[in-house]
Amino acid sequence: MAARYGDSLLILGISFASAWVCEGISWLLIYRTSTYKSLRSTIDRTSKKLESMKSNTPTIAATKKSKAKKMDRLEIGLKESSRDLSFSKFKSGGVVAVVLVIVFGLLSSLFEGKAVAKLPFVPLNLVQTLSHRGVPGDDPTDCSMVFLYTLCSLSIRSNLQKFLGFSPPRGAAAAGMFPVPLDTKGK
Amino acid sequence: MRERPSTGKSPKQPSLKEHDGDVSPFSISKLMNPDADWDREQLGDVLHWIRQALGLLLGIIWGAIPVTGAFWLILFFALTSGVIYGYYHVILKVDEEELGGHGGLLQEGLFASFTLFLLAWILVYSLLHF
Repeated sequence: MAARYGDSLLILGISFASAWVCEGISWLLIYRTSTYKSLRSTIDRTSKKLESMKSNTPTIAATKKSKAKKMDRLEIGLKESSRDLSFSKFKSGGVVAVVLVIVFGLLSSLFEGKAVAKLPFVPLNLVQTLSHRGVPGDDPTDCSMVFLYTLCSLSIRSNLQKFLGFSPPRGAAAAGMFPVPLDTKGK
Repeated sequence: MRERPSTGKSPKQPSLKEHDGDVSPFSISKLMNPDADWDREQLGDVLHWIRQALGLLLGIIWGAIPVTGAFWLILFFALTSGVIYGYYHVILKVDEEELGGHGGLLQEGLFASFTLFLLAWILVYSLLHF
């Protein structure tokens, strides 16, 4: 096995290490702080309560109205705490970004102008701007370090966060990003 | 993971849909049990990790054979979505509406597994055949 593309393993290893470093920093700055933990538990609790309230709908009109009001309050509470949650993440965002830029600088100095892997498919032109960046020749299946590093960090970091339990709770993600106008009239 | 007897503290007759929310979602008995009671977070985590394992597995297989061409990308999406749908709909028989609908369940961990699949496919293909 000529392992012409042995460098790709080096990139994999460096991405793996940098993912752990980034999560370590985030843990140090955010995840172990009590504010984050309390925010996280309120979000989990409210989204669970909302979920259970949504599943059993009362019949009598009066309770329906009061229930809708209660759900409103819960929704607003959920939105606020998920917004605070994302603000609390900004603190470590800066440090993590610095780490990623340093690692990227190191990798590009090592592998500039070199194909580090072979793609088993011909990517779309749009993808080629990334997968063929800085690689000599015009063979579209040559893979640049940038593309491989992007794939590594995307897959490794998201799974590492999931594995460590740092990924944002589902309830918050939905409420925080796309504030759906709540139909409060309640037909 | 010993299955905690459900008669535990509350003497109430354990209903058919015995509430075992605190049993870890990865205990085999719960994974294969259509009567188990799932909540959105737990089911989401299980589907996420199934999808990652499938992505990694298919990536390694495609790379080892090797197969090339965008067709295999499409086959990856079809296969993994089919397996995930078959799992939660046929084996677990969960009520999708309650747990985020088909869209929500089928998207669980989709992008992460796609990047993992691509990474495995490219690496195995490059290292084994060049």
